[in-house]
Amino acid sequence: MAVCIAVIAKENYPLYIRSVPTQNELKFHYTVHTSLDVVEEKISAVGKSLGDQRELYLGLLYPTEDYKMFRKLHNSFTDVMCNPFHNPGDPIQSKAFDGIVSGMMVQTG
Amino acid sequence: MAQCVQSVQEFVQDSFVPMVAVLCSEEAERVTRKNNLNFAELLRPFCRLTSEGHIRDPNNQVQVVKNLRICVNNVVISPNTVSAALSPSQCRLLNEVVLSCQPQEGAVTNVITAGDYDLNFSATTPWFETYRENFLQSMPASDHEFLNHYLACLLVVSSTETVPVEHFLKLSQEQHRIQHSGEYTNPKWFIPNTLKYYVLLHDMSEGDEQRADAVYEDMKQRYGSQGCYLLKMNSRTFSAEEDEQIPDPWSQYLQRSNLHNQVSTVPKTSSTLTKFGHCFLPDGVSNSLENHPLQLETASSSGTLHTLSAVNADLKKGARDPETLAGGAGSHGACLTLNDHDHIRQFIQEFTFRGLLPHIEKNIRQLNDQLVSRKGLSRSLFTATKKWFGGGKVPEKSISEPKSTCGLLYPPEAPELQIRKMADLCFLVQHYELAYSCYHTAKKDFLSDQAMLYAAGALEMAAVSAFLQAGAPRPYPAHYMDTAIQTYRDVCKNMVLAERCALLSAEILKSQGKYSEAATLLIKMTSEDSDLRSALLLEQAAHCFINMRNPMVRKFAFHMILAGHRFSKAGQRRHALRCYCQAMQVYKERGWSLAEDHINFTIGRQSFTLRQPENAVIAFRQILTNDSRQTATQQGAFLREYLYVYKVTISLPQLPLPYIHSSATRVYFGHERRLAQGEKQAATHVSLDQEYDQDLAAMWCHLEEQLVAAANRGIVPVNFQTTQCCLNSQTDNLRHPLAVVEEPIIVEVTFRNPLKVSLSLSNLSLVWRFTADCASPSKEKTTEEFCFATLTHSVDFFLSTDQQTSDLMVVRGRQELKIRGPRLNQTKEDKMSVRHGPDLRLDPIITPPMPLMEVFFLQFPTALLCGEIRKAYVEFCNVSSVALCGLRVVSTHPDFFTFGSQATTPLSPTSAENCSAYKTLATAPEPGLVASEILVSAEDFSQSSGVMEIPIDGCTLQPGESTQLPLWLRGPDQEGVHEINFLFYYESTSKGNKISHRVLRHTVFICASRSLSVQASACRSSVPLHHSLDDKGDGGAMVFIDVENINTSEAGVREFHIVQVSSSSQHWRLHKCINPAKDKDCKLISRERAKLCFRATRCKPHQGISHRKIDVASSRTSSSSKKQGPTENRASAIANIVKKCNELDLNIIVIWKAYVVEDNKQLILEGQLHVALQTIGKEASSLTPREETQEMVLLKFKSEFPPIVVLPPAELSQLIKTNLHYPETYTHPFVQDSLCVVPVTLTLSNCSLAQVDVIIDLRHKSTSPESMEVHSSFTWVGQTQYKLQLKPQEVLCLTLRACFLQAGVYNLNTPRVFAKPTGQGAMCETSQQTSIPALIIINNA
Repeated sequence: MAVCIAVIAKENYPLYIRSVPTQNELKFHYTVHTSLDVVEEKISAVGKSLGDQRELYLGLLYPTEDYKMFRKLHNSFTDVMCNPFHNPGDPIQSKAFDGIVSGMMVQTG
Repeated sequence: MAQCVQSVQEFVQDSFVPMVAVLCSEEAERVTRKNNLNFAELLRPFCRLTSEGHIRDPNNQVQVVKNLRICVNNVVISPNTVSAALSPSQCRLLNEVVLSCQPQEGAVTNVITAGDYDLNFSATTPWFETYRENFLQSMPASDHEFLNHYLACLLVVSSTETVPVEHFLKLSQEQHRIQHSGEYTNPKWFIPNTLKYYVLLHDMSEGDEQRADAVYEDMKQRYGSQGCYLLKMNSRTFSAEEDEQIPDPWSQYLQRSNLHNQVSTVPKTSSTLTKFGHCFLPDGVSNSLENHPLQLETASSSGTLHTLSAVNADLKKGARDPETLAGGAGSHGACLTLNDHDHIRQFIQEFTFRGLLPHIEKNIRQLNDQLVSRKGLSRSLFTATKKWFGGGKVPEKSISEPKSTCGLLYPPEAPELQIRKMADLCFLVQHYELAYSCYHTAKKDFLSDQAMLYAAGALEMAAVSAFLQAGAPRPYPAHYMDTAIQTYRDVCKNMVLAERCALLSAEILKSQGKYSEAATLLIKMTSEDSDLRSALLLEQAAHCFINMRNPMVRKFAFHMILAGHRFSKAGQRRHALRCYCQAMQVYKERGWSLAEDHINFTIGRQSFTLRQPENAVIAFRQILTNDSRQTATQQGAFLREYLYVYKVTISLPQLPLPYIHSSATRVYFGHERRLAQGEKQAATHVSLDQEYDQDLAAMWCHLEEQLVAAANRGIVPVNFQTTQCCLNSQTDNLRHPLAVVEEPIIVEVTFRNPLKVSLSLSNLSLVWRFTADCASPSKEKTTEEFCFATLTHSVDFFLSTDQQTSDLMVVRGRQELKIRGPRLNQTKEDKMSVRHGPDLRLDPIITPPMPLMEVFFLQFPTALLCGEIRKAYVEFCNVSSVALCGLRVVSTHPDFFTFGSQATTPLSPTSAENCSAYKTLATAPEPGLVASEILVSAEDFSQSSGVMEIPIDGCTLQPGESTQLPLWLRGPDQEGVHEINFLFYYESTSKGNKISHRVLRHTVFICASRSLSVQASACRSSVPLHHSLDDKGDGGAMVFIDVENINTSEAGVREFHIVQVSSSSQHWRLHKCINPAKDKDCKLISRERAKLCFRATRCKPHQGISHRKIDVASSRTSSSSKKQGPTENRASAIANIVKKCNELDLNIIVIWKAYVVEDNKQLILEGQLHVALQTIGKEASSLTPREETQEMVLLKFKSEFPPIVVLPPAELSQLIKTNLHYPETYTHPFVQDSLCVVPVTLTLSNCSLAQVDVIIDLRHKSTSPESMEVHSSFTWVGQTQYKLQLKPQEVLCLTLRACFLQAGVYNLNTPRVFAKPTGQGAMCETSQQTSIPALIIINNA
């Protein structure tokens, strides 16, 4: 289970960010932001090695993460993007997406 | 890591230099003190050797020593043992050093572009370098390595001593005592027989030079020429060359070293030799440093800034002190000439090359020999013992030694240490190859002995020497360093050594471009025990991230934040602020609002404590104005801090809160209206409560235009400008509004609180600026001052947090009111860019006094019956000090009211007992129905527009004067609520003002309820003309009036009485009542209907407008009422001719009285209803018919052709009036004569004003079958068809004969008359009126 899930735009601003222990929100934001460096590194590495083969899942930032989680999240994200009323680049405010994320979050209480 | 001034090689070399101790006699100390320096300091700038030295290694190979630096220090004696950590005083020193080294303002900064980020920061970090240098210098000498042990000792004696040689002896003994007595663990000495170098100091200014030379010769004899030196100095006299500028090479060293020395002399000993500890530092420094507020850094803590500011003050003092220090020690080397400098330099060189290097060379050789001799034996011995005892055993000689956590400790002269000693010596003289092999061997030995501290030291140095080897035969063993660091830290718990190792390693890794490894290393070294170190290392790590080949911007930012956090913990606010600011560049405006807020908040706090309130304000403002995602409590905390900053710093700050919705600002000119004053009801005018309505504004503007046109003889002036009392975002704000002096201006400002916490505002006031402008019109002699005022658009108020806590934060601040006009969208440039027009809402021009009128209404009703006449009073009151004139009024409903003249109506309402609008004329009641006639002049009808001049006395109202006028109101004809708008106009009696006129608005709502419905219709009288009473004209018309009580309120109105019916017309007059009913008093109770019939006759032409009334009741009344003016239609079109013929243009006025019961009182209401009869045969009603619901019409996309002009049959049928004249009964003896012929006269009268062709057809309609039966017995004889032409209004008689066959009743009205106007091409004849049957009775005689 995840404690913080974030969807970040190409330009590095958060489209969606949510974390479960709300008192530590700031810390999570910092963590997510800093980990973008790793993502960037991985993206550039993928671009070099695989060429056109676009593998969306970049791998693990931390070894306990679950691949299924990513697929689920990505499917939901795709749904959000398919919404004709969604303006790409806007923060995500979809209820369905929120629900998926909540399901993936740690159940507290 | 950031870029450094030194290269890596330089840095590493300088980290480990030969150490030389200094012992001075008191006299020598005195001599050097003349220069404000001690001897060690005196030498310091010259300690780097510019020339190359040479040394022979054990293999007799010459080794070049380049760029050697030696370190000369005074002997500081301390008995305490080596600690693994830096002493508090040393920490303080480092802190101070970092604090004093700040980036310069406007220093060169790099711009690094990484991805989307443009980062602006300085690539160098001098504070880090200073820290590193000082840290390495302050390293305590340790037992496991010899690099910073003293190699030699300078013994300095002044030539002024009586017997210098004795002093030399004394110093030599002193040195020996320090080294060998075992009393002191510090300082540490490299080799038991330390090189002693004897220096005779000669002061040129006071001593005898020859004597000094003699003593020197003696010394040479005694110590050998290579072991002593005569240093001549102080050759400069003060008085002579005061102005000569000598470079001061000490300044760059001494600021630091002063601190250094001060710190290092803190553990004072009894030794008199070290009493140079001059305490320049006031207590403030140490106080401030001891009070470091480590608890401040938590952003979420509610630590108030009160304590911060207190500490801040201390820090400021502390930060100032180094400068005073530098200033106090400003004149170093004042007694030294450039020659003296050269002497010193020469001395150092001599000492190094003649004394120190040979000494080192000799020792290396010795140690080498020892090692070689020992090697064979010990090596085999060790391995043998290991084999025998199973390895891992501690060698027997160290059993007695104390064990520590880091493995065993060797005694100082242990053979294992000799190789290390030799390695260190080789390293110091830059023989890195030999040093490496020695370190490597030593490392193996130490490891096998489990002497971890020693092993780590050897590893570290092995790595360093491997790196420094020129040509690099082997790659840099980074893992040596890692192991060393790990061992130092984890096994030996010696953070100082670990840090040194990490610093070296990081620098080396940096030089090799291994930034990632360097960063990892540095981050690993951060720990809780030292905030300063952690901060500096984190900052360097951040620099590593940004310097990577693929710059890791976000990691850079994150580590900068961490560094800033640690800096602030360490009390380094300036550095903390800088770190946060640099990190901010990455987080700014990218949606990471929580992080951004956090950074802004920290920046704000740090800026504030650093006395940079402007920056603090900017940072705090960003937290509060952004749409914050913070929680309410967090926002509350932010706000409190923010307000505190404001409170402390700026006198009248610009507050960002609450948010002012500036475009919603409304400006109201004039007094707030009193709505009611006793019975008086003031004109509503404009109030701030009203919403702006575009349609209403247009309506008022239109009304004002009408007024202005009326006042200017029908022409609206070019510069006409609608009076706008209340300006808002929708009004036209392109011109400066005009305000009158001494009249208030009300500004309404809309505030919004974007926060989740409540704000309370108090003591709001509007700040304004007035600019006097003496633009006097030259044409007039009176120089009037036109005052030009502008508001400074700001609101001044107290802002406070709404908290229950006792410390209520109140800040007085201001906010600018800047109104931007609407966005322009006219030209292409406007459309391409975002441009805004001006908005001069808040820049009124103040004009000289203008009259101000107030209007009050008395007894003004709110509800009326339709058509009810009611009297009210209106009072005009000039409340200004200027006379006004030209009173006019315009209304949207001009027929609603009229002003009663003062002559005919009582002046005040109190004097009028009877409020009837009608005057009863007492005339003798005449029997029957009598009509009277009044001529009304045409002018009374010529109310062309709605503008009315108000008839007041003298046409002016003097200041303070008021006048009352009666006002007649007539209820609207339509039921429902009516909005009636009045616009009063007045102008100043003095002309040429900027404001030409003023207006006053009034809006009333009248609820009209149904009273009577009057429906009237007229038809042409069928009476032949010569029968009519009128002698002239073509006959009359019948007017039928249906009056119905349609009042629905059962309770209110009991009954209506029709009092009088009048007519008003230019052509017609009501003649006579021919009502069949005899009830004279026409009463109508609810839903009752009465029918009244009148005959109307045409008046003589040019008779004027007749105004006739016919009494229904016995009393006569006269009334005045308005009618629309005469219409003259001279039209040639056929349609018009035809219409003309049917035109009636008769207005019927029904005057009624209603008996109303209200509050058990009977009231009589009076009123009148008007019906305009336009055409004959058409019914007209006092009620305009209800609008039918608009039906859905199919959309047509073709343009419709105008309909072909076809004369409507209904109108044509009225062209000709036909009358049949015949005897009513006719007796004929059918027995005698079976044919009965009756003469019938057909009178044709042309009603129209045109020639009409008439065809008369007497034949029965053969087509209709039923007519055959009816008329079978009756036929017209003689000519049965006539074609005639009738001149306008001609009357023609035709004699016809009807033939009857038997007795009976016959309808003679069978002739069909077709008429058409002459000249009409197509025959569009229409049968004329045939409806009424004309019956004849034929009797049989």
